Amino acid sequence: MTDAAGGGVAHESWLIQIDAELDGELSLVERAALAKHLATCSHCAGARASQLEVRVALARSAGNPHAFVVPRPAIRADTLALWVAVALGSGILAGWLAHSRWGGPGGSLEDTRAAIVVQ
Amino acid sequence: MQLSSFSSALAALAALFLGFYLPAPLLQGPGTRLTYRIRIMEPAATGPRVVASGAVSGPLDTDMRLTLRSDSAEIESLFQVTPVGDTVNLGAEFFTKRRVGRSRRGLPLWEHDTYRRIVRLAWNDTARVYPFGSARRSSASRAAWVELVLEREFAGGEARPAEELELVDSTRDFRLEAVVRPRRARVTLNLVRGDTVSAPRPMDLLPEEPARLIQLVLGGRVTTFEVSLTRPAPARSPRERALAIDADVVCLRVGQPEADQPIGLLCARLNNVARQLPLPTGDTLAATFAWPGPR
Repeated sequence: MTDAAGGGVAHESWLIQIDAELDGELSLVERAALAKHLATCSHCAGARASQLEVRVALARSAGNPHAFVVPRPAIRADTLALWVAVALGSGILAGWLAHSRWGGPGGSLEDTRAAIVVQ
Repeated sequence: MQLSSFSSALAALAALFLGFYLPAPLLQGPGTRLTYRIRIMEPAATGPRVVASGAVSGPLDTDMRLTLRSDSAEIESLFQVTPVGDTVNLGAEFFTKRRVGRSRRGLPLWEHDTYRRIVRLAWNDTARVYPFGSARRSSASRAAWVELVLEREFAGGEARPAEELELVDSTRDFRLEAVVRPRRARVTLNLVRGDTVSAPRPMDLLPEEPARLIQLVLGGRVTTFEVSLTRPAPARSPRERALAIDADVVCLRVGQPEADQPIGLLCARLNNVARQLPLPTGDTLAATFAWPGPR
């Protein structure tokens, strides 16, 4: 990462650094090293510009063209557990209601047949 | 004299024997009229309400065909009675079609079922028919049921069936029909040539009786036919057989005297609709089938 010419360190590492910088995850020292590299590496500078354009497009499509950082969808474990529980509960309730309204899928054939009762 | 009194005693004994052992329908014959009185009920918030009511009446061998249709079920039934003394055996043939879901390709799947029910009840008693299943099922307990009362009365020689149905809720699809196999039929024949029609020739015919010769006069020319009434061939489908769909259909066999092959066969219901049979001479024979008048 300290290679000023960028020959010794693979571009993939610098691309990861660019991604992290745009997410605001780099320290001041790392940002300085990246800036120094970008000044000498047109390939990485182009990649950074391209990344920025993609993020701008995503932010526009999300309705916020002035976003500093494109928000990533994040699902928290407890939220996920809550939704799973809600889905299961709804299914059980719907099944119970449907069973009480229309009966089960199988059941006795005799129960579905007509009956004649003398009063 | 002795022989005569012996004959009278024998006749009395025979009458007594027949009185004990002949089935009631034969004894009661056409003088007794049977009525199926029905009410179709449905549960409501304030208690059961009448959705439809009606009656089917006719001679003692009259059957009743009842059809109930809903979005997911179609129940066709044929009710028959057999009088046994002061009670009556009520039999019902059910032919049901129930929707059980959809196939993987989105087509509706139907379940067909056919079965028979028999109960014995007294005349004027009420029988409850749960067509959508026994009341034990929670879904069936919310479905319609039919209250059926069987009545009999003396009615002279009236043999024509009658049916009436009053729908309280016209969105419901119920049908009530009298099913009677006619003992005789009134057939009116006309000979048609162009726009000329012969005088109508009405006659009462009995199914399977020997052929009759009739003459129709048209334009001064007499045409003789040999006619006889027959029953149609048994229905092919089990549903039509079970529900006696063609019970009131009769066929008129039309031929010429001393000819081997008949000219044609006209089959129709007793509904006063004229049927036409083209004749080899270019004329047309029109036959109208109807219920006979009371005797």
